Amino acid sequence: MATKEELLKAKIPCAETGIEIRHSLCDICSPTSHCGVNCYVKDGVIIKVEGDENHPLNQGLLCTKGASNRQYVYREDRIKTPLKRTGPRGSGQYEPITWDEALDTIAKKLQGYKAQYGAQSVFFFGGYTKWFRPILQRLAYSFGTPNYGTESSSCFTSGLMAWKVAAATPSRPDMKNSRLFLGWAHNPYYTGYLSARSTENLKKKGVKFIIVDTMYTQTAEKIADLFLQPRPGTDGALALAIANELIENGWVDHDFISKYVHGFEEYAAYCRGFNRTNVEALTGVPYEKVQQAARMIHDYGHPMSIKESSAPLAHHINGMQNYRAIMSLAIITGNYDVKGGQIPVEFTYTHQASGYHTLEHEFVKEARVFNMPAPVGAQRFPLWNELEHEAQAMDLSRQILEGTPYPLKALVCFGINNRMFPDSKRMLKALETVDFYVDMDLFMTDCAKYADIVLPACTSFEREEFKSYPGGWAYYTKPVIQPLYESRPDADVMCELARRMDLDDTLLKSGYRACLEYILSPISLSVQTLQDADTPLRVPEFKPHEPLATLRRGLKTPTGKLELKSELIAGHPEWGLDALPTYREPLDNIDPAEYPMTLTSGGRLPFALHSRLHDVPWLRTLRPKACVELNPEDAQALGILEQDTVEISTPLGSITAAALLSRHIQKGLVSLYHGYREADISSLISADRLDPYSGFPACRSNRCRVSKKG
Amino acid sequence: MKKMILDFDSSKCCACGACAIACMDQNDYDPKTGSAPFRTIFETEHADGRPVFTHYSVACMHCSPAPCINACPVGCLRKDPETDLTVYDNTNCIGCHSCAMACPFGAPSFNSAGKMEKCNGCYLRLQYGLTPACVRVCPTGALRMVTEEEYEAAHGSGSIIPEARAIAKDQI
Repeated sequence: MATKEELLKAKIPCAETGIEIRHSLCDICSPTSHCGVNCYVKDGVIIKVEGDENHPLNQGLLCTKGASNRQYVYREDRIKTPLKRTGPRGSGQYEPITWDEALDTIAKKLQGYKAQYGAQSVFFFGGYTKWFRPILQRLAYSFGTPNYGTESSSCFTSGLMAWKVAAATPSRPDMKNSRLFLGWAHNPYYTGYLSARSTENLKKKGVKFIIVDTMYTQTAEKIADLFLQPRPGTDGALALAIANELIENGWVDHDFISKYVHGFEEYAAYCRGFNRTNVEALTGVPYEKVQQAARMIHDYGHPMSIKESSAPLAHHINGMQNYRAIMSLAIITGNYDVKGGQIPVEFTYTHQASGYHTLEHEFVKEARVFNMPAPVGAQRFPLWNELEHEAQAMDLSRQILEGTPYPLKALVCFGINNRMFPDSKRMLKALETVDFYVDMDLFMTDCAKYADIVLPACTSFEREEFKSYPGGWAYYTKPVIQPLYESRPDADVMCELARRMDLDDTLLKSGYRACLEYILSPISLSVQTLQDADTPLRVPEFKPHEPLATLRRGLKTPTGKLELKSELIAGHPEWGLDALPTYREPLDNIDPAEYPMTLTSGGRLPFALHSRLHDVPWLRTLRPKACVELNPEDAQALGILEQDTVEISTPLGSITAAALLSRHIQKGLVSLYHGYREADISSLISADRLDPYSGFPACRSNRCRVSKKG
Repeated sequence: MKKMILDFDSSKCCACGACAIACMDQNDYDPKTGSAPFRTIFETEHADGRPVFTHYSVACMHCSPAPCINACPVGCLRKDPETDLTVYDNTNCIGCHSCAMACPFGAPSFNSAGKMEKCNGCYLRLQYGLTPACVRVCPTGALRMVTEEEYEAAHGSGSIIPEARAIAKDQI
């Protein structure tokens, strides 16, 4: 028999050890995951985590990032109390203050700016993850400012806008019912392990896969029946060339097009410009591969679905148009609103389509004040402003520094990181300049060190929260442990600020839970029932997708059809945007002789998520140094060996990182993950190379120079 | 309990490292001590017309017979009679590294006190009806814990064990 000491060491949950298993969710990465977690708890402390086997999403599994939750939660640099700045901005000199002092100070300051400069001078920013989004947006609106902005200014929204332009509604691939999957930027081994498993299962069942990626990924290696490797940001030209091949061979669905599609003739005429004479020069993909892709779509693509992605295709100056061009392939082949195709969805909560309706939209909208001034970014990104009811935060640093069209005086941030903004130094300068800056965060980041008041947030394990999952699931968690130190849930602080400013918003002032009771009122499960269950429940109101119902009802686009040519854009010539999914070169005009290579940032790693895991020691053992990945042939030509210190330069500056030679990387490409303190790639990326359609930054296509250092 | 085999299929692995992190969590690994973690992951690559990658997750292979057991002069290492996993009690470890010299896989690690530690196959978790931390987490199913019968029934396909056994045999 094992001794009690041995059982404790092995962390066996049983009466003898007193180790209990409690359930929560991991909110380290994207809200499309948020896997169920079993926390092993002993004396109020988490001593181990593993996947929750009863959770409908992850069924017991976790990824590399999720497995590190314990060290993430107990990171030494957690902010412990509210803090007031005592030294210069950035110095990190603070003194602890009480919550009362912190909240009263913030409330008073914000009301002061509102009185003196108007409510629009206050900007509310929401970082990752999205769990508090509707609460923050309502707080901003109830306060009276249009300036609610989020990290979705550089993630996810570009693709959403592409679909809003085409169909006025977001869309999801019905992958499990497809015969062919077009995996454009699809490498779930590094981004979403659950999708890797389902991808493998579908492959075994005979589903065909076209994988398109700038990198030769594990998915390209293990899954692809056909692999296309374009240069970064040339996806649009490639998609238009595939479309042209489909059209010329008569492999499009004319019946579907005549019933449901607008603008086909003009689109087809435009596609003719992308053909055998130029596609390889434009994209690097040989024309035979384009033909093979079109042939596969013809042979197997009924039905075909296409990977929806948030960042990889969007982070170019032509990102949204490229995305439109890719998704047009589903439209012209009749793979929209059909089983196994691209299906229109309604978001249930925080951008998750779970197949049931909540009042999230109403909850936010009803607090919206009419005749508010335009939010940050509205003038520069008119299409964004037309489609999204939030600020385009990529214009935030400019507006703070230039004070036009109106001055911004205060920033209240729930997680902000300058390294998530292009030209991270300019963002810091803006934070140094703004009158009043509050940051609520888990960790004392370099960016938090500029705040006047810093507030300690807690993790998902220390709070209760609502989360919806695909397939009609709803989860309302219980805290697994008490909030560490004096930390609090972000949403509680938002509601408390509403109280202290005595905003005219009874619901918001009654707290997060009451807000969720209202938002979830259309479903027959109460918040209490959901929470008592301690596991996700299936919502009885769940409605599965009904093929062609949306198209038959008519879309909410100007023509009521799927628009290859956007009449919304065509109706606004003053925007200077194209109604068709046109293509332009992703790289800029700086001297290719001086900057011969292409720098890409943000390509995922299995053990990193933006900057938030770089300081988790376990994960750093898997890659201790910030590494720049280079093709071995390029490295040889440059005299660079594995682990050499390498300098990467753009016109904005230089950084150094350790060389990692890898055939995952195509020749001419240089890849460096973002968010590293010691190798901040965002400092090399211009804040003004933005996609004019979406406002997204060009993180993944910048000319650069690489050289061996020393 | 039946004789258990901690098996690995490199064709299913993508070297994501979830197993390595779960192992660190299970065993309270502290990188600051400078000791080696019990499980490591890596990827090898070569070009054969196109790039070819192989992914590995490696820890103690729980060899049977195990060269480390014979090598230890103070008898720290032994086979768990229930599971046949290679387990240890390092109370008497003198830090001589003989086990590490004998091990063809680099499995033994040495803690800040100089004493040997390594993967014990989570044998107590097995006895309590749980699977090892690395197997539990593995998102691609590359790691699994099987009984000897299950292993034999699979004829060693998709298994690293035949190769590992051949290497260990040479060592003994």
